[in-house]
Amino acid sequence: MLTPLQAIKKKRAEAVNRIVSKGYLSTKRVYVGMATCEIAAGSKEVMEVFRQAIAKGLTDIYLSQKGCAGRCNLEPTVEVVEEGNIPVKYGRVTPQRAREIVERHLKKGEVITEWVI
Amino acid sequence: MRDKKFKLTLCDGTSCIHNQSKALQQALQAELQRHNLTEAVSVHLSGCLGMCSKGPILIVNPGYILYGRVRVEDIPEIVESHLVHNKAVTRLIITEDHLYNRFFRIFGDVDFFGKQMRIALRNCGIIDPENIDDYLSLRGYEALAKALETMTPQQVIAEVKQSGLRGRGGAGFPSGLKWEFTANQDGDEKYVICNADEGDPGAFMDRSAIEGDPHTVLEGMLIAGYAIGASKGIIYIRAEYPLAIKRLEKAIVAAREHGLLGEKILGSDFSFDIEIRLGAGAFVCGEETALIHSIEGHRGMPRPRPPYPSVVGLFGKPTLINNVETWASIPVIILDGANWFGTVGTETSKGTKVFAVAGRVHNTGLVEVPMGTTLREIIYDICGGIPGGRAFKAVQTGGPSGGCLPEAYLDTEIDYESLAKAGSIMGSGGMIVIDEDSCMVSLARFFLEFTQDESCGKCTPCREGTKRMYEILTRISEGNGQDGDIEKLERLGKMIQRSSLCGLGQSAPNPVLSTLKNFRDEYEEHIQSKTCRAGQCAALLSYTVNEKCVGCGACRRVCPVDAVEGTRKEMHRILQDKCIRCGQCYDACKFDAITKA
Repeated sequence: MLTPLQAIKKKRAEAVNRIVSKGYLSTKRVYVGMATCEIAAGSKEVMEVFRQAIAKGLTDIYLSQKGCAGRCNLEPTVEVVEEGNIPVKYGRVTPQRAREIVERHLKKGEVITEWVI
Repeated sequence: MRDKKFKLTLCDGTSCIHNQSKALQQALQAELQRHNLTEAVSVHLSGCLGMCSKGPILIVNPGYILYGRVRVEDIPEIVESHLVHNKAVTRLIITEDHLYNRFFRIFGDVDFFGKQMRIALRNCGIIDPENIDDYLSLRGYEALAKALETMTPQQVIAEVKQSGLRGRGGAGFPSGLKWEFTANQDGDEKYVICNADEGDPGAFMDRSAIEGDPHTVLEGMLIAGYAIGASKGIIYIRAEYPLAIKRLEKAIVAAREHGLLGEKILGSDFSFDIEIRLGAGAFVCGEETALIHSIEGHRGMPRPRPPYPSVVGLFGKPTLINNVETWASIPVIILDGANWFGTVGTETSKGTKVFAVAGRVHNTGLVEVPMGTTLREIIYDICGGIPGGRAFKAVQTGGPSGGCLPEAYLDTEIDYESLAKAGSIMGSGGMIVIDEDSCMVSLARFFLEFTQDESCGKCTPCREGTKRMYEILTRISEGNGQDGDIEKLERLGKMIQRSSLCGLGQSAPNPVLSTLKNFRDEYEEHIQSKTCRAGQCAALLSYTVNEKCVGCGACRRVCPVDAVEGTRKEMHRILQDKCIRCGQCYDACKFDAITKA
């Protein structure tokens, strides 16, 4: 019988494994804001752009939704996290911008500095 | 690795300044110059990072590597080793895994976030709120396990008491005491309630907290259930937050599947479950006794206290009610310890507070800062000041229950006491910044319109009094103010404060009384000279056409009452007796040819 702390540590290890198996260790992790405020600003459409890109064969990307970080007037926000680099935080991401982020940043590694928060 | 860009953040809190952070700054700049790194490396200052015992703190991004107790002599080594050769100086790294650090691994280099401190919102924006695995992977539910395994219920309560945490819903009652009162009651059944009935206009802290990290609220409630001996928790949330509700429901289902809710949690003897109750959106139901009535199925109306809910609460049983933000702070207190929590904040108010900053600032949004941060730091340093070069006029804290503070209070260090002393309240955390273009009479009228509408009607002073105050304010802003109106407002306001039963009524006159105190001249102008200096009270304005008019006819076309006349290419004219002062001509004119006065 596990103690509560042992049990929670086991759960954590299992949770980490599940997250990893979903591709967490991909080169780039993409987080799209999906709180009410972000959705109202249009983040569902933005999320769809990234989903479609992955469905169409974009690999080595871990795509996740996230809550609101609190940067209201720059929503929708998208973060691209790559180990060893400062996470890139994009603001006011429209579907059009999302498509460019896919083409330029995710595929070619170019940070589009003018949209960075 | 010289081409690598680094971002350094030096803690510049009071205690770190004491520990020579200024000298560190100079040493750092000198070393960066010596290595020709000033281009590649940027240095930023942050407010207190809450690790004062390990200060001064230097954070290197990427990686959010924390160096503690950095001395001037260490700087050459850090620059040479970390920034030139990309090897962290391990002997100085703080390895303690505080819960709140993680947010800054993503957002630490942005000024808006870097100057904040995230305890309640520590996971908001960095995890998938609909996936319990994300929460578990960040030491989620470990505080619960720690409490169950290593602490007695009394020890949990002692820890919360020692932390100095106070209710984040607004009144600031010490949370630990509330827990203790409820725990000390005999009874076979007790309840834990999460008050998520957020209703202040412009406030959205609780919605964001739940939508971004629902499990932390559940974990906080679970810990309280264990501490006070309750087996049932209820989250009271308004139906107009559908996404927050959906995420809470999902979180509850996931927690049950993982054995984190239900019978014998994590193999212990502790059983607890949580259900959601939806409110219909009445502001008064955020008051705890009205909230309890609403859950019981009655009309949401407050009742006199004592007895407090900790003695006679839901269905007559001892009940512990805390606000979302309070619950979200609990796991941090249990895991990182009351001692650590106590180092953040001021003498009387510990920890952090979330504010929803709106109005006339560049960066609107959610700001979580240590207690003791000044209004100026929030409005100017974090939120970037007021756009368009306009002048600051006032800041309204505490929503419709709070007050308006003018410029003289900008350097007030925010805590429960200082805001109360200044004539406002902490409230649940709404913060509206007002510039010179806003009329204080209109602002007071707006809040009064809200409270008189939301008054439950139980107490006459609140029901009738706020209505009469609203009528007086309306006639003042319509140019029909009379001598003596100001005195009437003051008399009514004080009477309502004194004779109302609940917090809604007692605080409803605050916006009027505080604007009367700080901006009395604006009221007098409205009444005596029938002018509104902010140009907001439509009835006190008049629109005239000036010589810049080219006769384009744009104003004539938009005027809904045909009050503009004139032929093409000739100066137009506004008929004052027909004009309803809607301002559409003013907005439509591209030549600045309409004067508003």
